[in-house]
Amino acid sequence: MSAPLLLRADHVGVRHHGHAGFTPSDVSLDLAPGEVVLLLGPSGSGKSTFALTLDGLVPHAVAAEVRGSVTVAGLDAGTTPVARLSEHVALVFQDADASVVTGTVLDEVCFGPENLLVPAPEVLARAEDALRRVGLWERRADDPAVLSGGGRQRLAIACALALGAPVLVLDEPTANLDPAGIEEVYAALRDVVAAGDRSVVLVEHNLDACVDLVDRVLVLDRRGRLVLEGPVRDVLAGRAEELLALGVWLPVATLAALRLRGAGVPFAALPLTGAELRQALDAEETLPALTPAPGAARVAASPVAASPVSVAKGAADGPVVRVRGLSVRRGRRTVLHDVSLDVRRGELCALVGVNGAGKTTLLQAVAGVVAPPRDTVEVAGLDPARADVRKLARHVGFVFQNPEHQFVRHTVAEELAHALEVQRVPRDEIAARVDDVLARFGLSAHREVHPFLLSGGQKRRLSVGTVLVAGATVLALDEPTFGQDRERAAELLDLLDQLVADGTTVLVVTHDLQLVADHASHAAVLADGRLLAHGPAADLLADDVLLRAGLRRPPLAAALSGLERHAAWRSVTRLQDLPGGPPTGSALSAAAPSGSAAVGPAVSATAAAVGAGAGGAARAGGTS
Amino acid sequence: MSLLLDPWAQHHRSRPLHRVNPLALMAAVLPALVALVLVRDLATPLVFLLLATGLVAVCAHVARPHRVLVFVLPTAFVLLASLTLGLWSAPAEAATTPVLVRLGPWQYHLGTWLVGLATSLRLGALFAVALVPGVSATGPDVVRAAVQHLRVPYRVGYTAFAAFRFVPRFGHELATIRAAHRVRGMAGGRGPLAGVRRWAGYVVPLLAGALRHAERVALAMDARAFGAHPTRTERHTVPLRPSDAGFVAAAWAVTAAVLLWAPDLLGGLMPAVPGA
Repeated sequence: MSAPLLLRADHVGVRHHGHAGFTPSDVSLDLAPGEVVLLLGPSGSGKSTFALTLDGLVPHAVAAEVRGSVTVAGLDAGTTPVARLSEHVALVFQDADASVVTGTVLDEVCFGPENLLVPAPEVLARAEDALRRVGLWERRADDPAVLSGGGRQRLAIACALALGAPVLVLDEPTANLDPAGIEEVYAALRDVVAAGDRSVVLVEHNLDACVDLVDRVLVLDRRGRLVLEGPVRDVLAGRAEELLALGVWLPVATLAALRLRGAGVPFAALPLTGAELRQALDAEETLPALTPAPGAARVAASPVAASPVSVAKGAADGPVVRVRGLSVRRGRRTVLHDVSLDVRRGELCALVGVNGAGKTTLLQAVAGVVAPPRDTVEVAGLDPARADVRKLARHVGFVFQNPEHQFVRHTVAEELAHALEVQRVPRDEIAARVDDVLARFGLSAHREVHPFLLSGGQKRRLSVGTVLVAGATVLALDEPTFGQDRERAAELLDLLDQLVADGTTVLVVTHDLQLVADHASHAAVLADGRLLAHGPAADLLADDVLLRAGLRRPPLAAALSGLERHAAWRSVTRLQDLPGGPPTGSALSAAAPSGSAAVGPAVSATAAAVGAGAGGAARAGGTS
Repeated sequence: MSLLLDPWAQHHRSRPLHRVNPLALMAAVLPALVALVLVRDLATPLVFLLLATGLVAVCAHVARPHRVLVFVLPTAFVLLASLTLGLWSAPAEAATTPVLVRLGPWQYHLGTWLVGLATSLRLGALFAVALVPGVSATGPDVVRAAVQHLRVPYRVGYTAFAAFRFVPRFGHELATIRAAHRVRGMAGGRGPLAGVRRWAGYVVPLLAGALRHAERVALAMDARAFGAHPTRTERHTVPLRPSDAGFVAAAWAVTAAVLLWAPDLLGGLMPAVPGA
């Protein structure tokens, strides 16, 4: 062996207690010094579990059956204590909040080396080096709690660096961050990688953020087997179709190119980054005509007359949500300044902005979660400041970020019946409507299950179902995709598409601007409590108002806005606006065709049924 | 700025109380705290309240947002609670004291107020005395001192410390859960029974969130070698100096002096508490 062996995983499989199968089931990895390896796979393939075996947390801290072996610097990870392994492998977790133990940034970085009995002067030297590398040295005296999300995750990276381990393992480090935070974290990580003294194993869904950093890719299938491995370009570009068939996400540039190939645009090699896509398109003399603005078409086509939903008086033509001069103060701080906004029936309006911009405050005021000042908000003809909770709930439903927060009963069926019981709907009608929603949300098999025992995706569907069963025609969702993987997020957004197509009005707070691009009809951009812009999503996402709000263009818009030729293409923001591609379905189903094949039948059946379900629920609401 | 108010705050070491070892601070006030539980007169708690508040005012730095809590709250509590506490426990002798307020057949006697005052003064003084180490020592220093001098295993100390971090998180989570339940129409009903039912509904989501969070924290600490060795490096030691012994001795002497002489010297100036 020429180079010393840092880390080797040999046919690793892990079975958690109470589970039948091994996920991952058979993964091998040899990590070279300075190498960056990306682990890909559909959700449930065991990527995070595999990451935890690399420093022995599985099986030492998380009890599970491990087969195969992990060797770290010559030590067997199955028998060496985690504490010793942590000198060789350092972990960065998804939830940066959960790794903060001490009261200052400096103490936090020192915590690891102190545990390893490193002498005090060297602890400080390491801490300073680590903090400087992630740009936090100036903030060493601050409480970690006052850092931004991106700052806290950079702190977590500094903590990992300070351990002195030559291997960093990062498990979805940016899943909880806004676009600016994601950029911050990857800028810091890029510097670490550039220094060349660390090897990195990365689990990440957001390929657009990390793809330029990665040397090698390992792909797991749904059952946790290693099915593809190789240099990043060979795998992501060379085997793109296979990855899609596995239900693995691809960079947006690659997805766009796949679609364009279908329309006859020749790509010698599929691009991985926005810059590569741009270069490839600029190299073409002519491009096929763009499909006519589907955004507008979709809004216009939203079938207002399709279902006989009775909407509160006067709302059929005017806006369903009307906000006028809304200001909200919290303590001495004004968190919303004079916001005015109209949302019409059947729109999917995304509220976007950096953390602290006032998005959630606006959403909560609209839905009456926090009562707004009188006469500033009108939803379906009601003023949330005056209307009583039960009456309001019949028209507007609020879906909290964590579905568990709003579960109040002990079984799924009771949970759905709750809103109707509160409204004193007759017993047999409740039973009928509950059965209806259970069937349409794919929860019939779980009707007697405690809501907390459902899977993540089921909990999310139930939380949406509980507000729709009462007949709500306006749905407000607070960061429903926060901390979820792309597959769960896509499943939810597909569901919202169906509801919107059926006439429900949806307001959603989200950080994921590509999802906004692909699903929202309208967007409202907030910064520092002020509404900077409001209008059709496609227009706003191509506008530099996003940058003024501290946001970033979604990857596709960022790539295309810089085109030198093809002026008409510069304002394209949505994959489905590009010519070519599969003839049916949204960009998401196009992106992960086998996603629907494997989670599958259930999900697409659910999505289709939910559309009908919303109509049914709304109809029922209308008659009560 | 302090153990009680903000466990992570950094201190400027300009004021003398912040330079005293946290364990010495605790030892210094312990006899006074025990005595305050036992005394029954008015003079002793009053003197302790004034001494403790004065000590903090002169010898410690109290951040502006906490000043009301430290300097106003104990006294305000004493005055308000004195009015009501007597109603619960005033002995029969109180009825022979002068009447302060008469509302129809109901009379509020001076003795009733004095009984209430004796209790509220003791509670207020306990709080004020506890604030001496409370505003002067930082959380990390207490943990370090306990590990270094009391042989508390550092695993226990730092785990307790990490648990402090849970508090604001829970506060936020609870507020969200309450809002979510209110939106779902769970706010209905008045009275203690509805209240109990409401709170029972918060327990499951709160515990589920707490357990998940605790698990993540534990993993993150393990991944950073927590518990690797029987000891860990301490960058700062929290030494016990002769001056700390001097501070404790002085505090105990003052406590003894107050207990011995305050009732006699000041007691004459104060009305007798009925039943004491």
